[in-house]
Amino acid sequence: MQTNIFLSGVLLMTFAMVVSKRITALINSFSLQSFFLFLFTLSLAISRHETGLYIVAGLLFLLKVILVPKFLRYVIKRIKVEENVGLFLNPLLSLISALGLIYLAYLFTKKIMPTDSIEGYSLIISLSVTLIGMFIMIFRMKALTQIIGLLVMENGLFLAAASLSGGMPFFVEIAIFFDVFVCVIILGVFVFKISTLFTHIDVNKLTELKG
Amino acid sequence: MEAIFILGTALLLAILPFLLKKSKIYPFLNAFGHFCILLIAIAISSKIINSGTHLAYLNIFYIDALSCVFIVTISVINFASAVYSIGYIKQDIKEGHIKEKKSNAYYSLFNLFTFSMFLVPMLNNLGFIWVAIEMTTLVSAFLVGFYNKKTSLEAAWKYIIICSVGITLALFGTILFFYTASRAGVGTLNWTDMLRVSASLDPNIVKIAFVFVLIGYGTKAGLAPMHTWLPDAHSQAPAPISALLSGVLLKTALFAILRFMVITNYCVGTWFAGNLLIIFGLISLAVAAGFILVQKDIKRLLAYSSVEHIGIIALGFGFGGAFGLFGAFLHIFNHAVTKSLMFFGIGSIVKKYCTNNLHVIRGVISTMPFIGIVVLFGVFALAGSVPFSIFISEITIFISGFTKGSYFAIGLALFFIVVIFAALISHFSQILFGKACVEQKKEGAPFSTKVSLIFLLLFIITLGVIIPDFFIKLFNGAIGVING
Repeated sequence: MQTNIFLSGVLLMTFAMVVSKRITALINSFSLQSFFLFLFTLSLAISRHETGLYIVAGLLFLLKVILVPKFLRYVIKRIKVEENVGLFLNPLLSLISALGLIYLAYLFTKKIMPTDSIEGYSLIISLSVTLIGMFIMIFRMKALTQIIGLLVMENGLFLAAASLSGGMPFFVEIAIFFDVFVCVIILGVFVFKISTLFTHIDVNKLTELKG
Repeated sequence: MEAIFILGTALLLAILPFLLKKSKIYPFLNAFGHFCILLIAIAISSKIINSGTHLAYLNIFYIDALSCVFIVTISVINFASAVYSIGYIKQDIKEGHIKEKKSNAYYSLFNLFTFSMFLVPMLNNLGFIWVAIEMTTLVSAFLVGFYNKKTSLEAAWKYIIICSVGITLALFGTILFFYTASRAGVGTLNWTDMLRVSASLDPNIVKIAFVFVLIGYGTKAGLAPMHTWLPDAHSQAPAPISALLSGVLLKTALFAILRFMVITNYCVGTWFAGNLLIIFGLISLAVAAGFILVQKDIKRLLAYSSVEHIGIIALGFGFGGAFGLFGAFLHIFNHAVTKSLMFFGIGSIVKKYCTNNLHVIRGVISTMPFIGIVVLFGVFALAGSVPFSIFISEITIFISGFTKGSYFAIGLALFFIVVIFAALISHFSQILFGKACVEQKKEGAPFSTKVSLIFLLLFIITLGVIIPDFFIKLFNGAIGVING
């Protein structure tokens, strides 16, 4: 029962991200989404009595709920960028597209496993979160929103790994966490560089290289 | 434990620039270190192919003949690139493109990059392979954006974002593989364990998972239509790094695809992965042919040529069979060597003429005789003409296609290759022999550049005439790994 609530929370926060118009709102929703993911992992750890999962849940809380959002807020403060997320598609159309993506995830899952099981249910949600993350990357043309889109994709994958097979092997999970964290830091460094050199972080204006 | 030695040397070389007070000798030390790595790589490979087994330590490292193909290729290109860097970076400092201090950062990143690339073929765990490949992206992004210009930052951003998304999809594929393996009773992500149960995996899930893996790692490998980061990154990176990106970075992603392909082949038969690779290979060839034909930027031209050759390699693995696989492995090595040679040559030319526009660069043969002649050899080798090495590997791949009866695919591929051949020769005949509109001062190449170019040229010419016993055994060993 709780797992269902946590999973719905993850999906709800994804919708909140699709419709949000300001970067800070986007970061808050991401932080909340990660928090629901943390609760989900914790409930999984309690039901399975695995120490590895407890550690993974703790790391998830530390990195994705606290450190990464904090880092992103710091970046925003430092580069004093305007707040809007660079909408390429207005919130209503985005919401409809997100619904379409969820239906796609449902069709996909139906092909490989029964959808009324808890596994199938969570695969649908994790896949839709991944797809919507990609959607955010494509249709929100700011460097920072692209980073958040990538993180959302990663959250979706984490959910898939946790729900399908009780998480990847422990050390792999840790290595992936570390990798994602480093990736965000490096992307942040590049955002700094871009904003000093270009005086903006609009990715759709990076068009010098083509052909 | 020789593998640890390779990784350790690379790491040591990465730290060293910050410890040494006098940075003058470091470039030479770097080249020497990579020479040692090359020797060790050859030693490991001959040990493995002669004994016909594999090396495994700690359940983490696993080196078989397939890994050795990649380790040898990486070490050859690394050595050449380390030697070429000596002259290239020195000139950069002299001309004021970078500060002397920044050359330390260059060498450090260079070695971290080689470290992460060596790591990929040595690992057993498919999850760790994913981490290592993501690591290559993160480190090389700094090298792509090394000059801190607007264009290079744009290229670095696109590179890191597109490759990260691609690799995220690959992770999803890996998770699906793990899911079906865990149902078949394997709780680890080790390739060897998965291979053991490959026959009892769920074929439906394996097929979908392989598509995700192919698209994900294919993004990194530069298969069209996911190749869009490639021309930007290759054209903006410093020339020695372009050579590494094109010569070996793409191949490490290919290595990951191959590992998954072996499992998929056992589970659903060779037709599935084979047909997918043939389709992506043909798309890559078509895209490359179009862009090479109308290209204005000389480094982007070489980048699209990488897309072409990755396409040909994919065709080789797609056709399969002893011939196709042998050709594909040979092509991996040949392309790495030839493309590095071209990037080195073109890097020096671009430095001299201060432009990437290939309609402006004229009369290279008369202004830079040595480099001009090497590039002349290189372009014929790259286009696949006799008597150079790429001709041999391409013809082997096409023979396998004919024996398999894929006449349509072969016909299309040959058409695109002919178009690319014509385009390359016409572009480069202008560049090399055309009349210079601005008279350039005649200039010799630095000694280190000459050494690296001759080193690579030797491979190109030798492998065109005779394939040494070492390579035949190496590739046959790798074929054995794939066919079981």
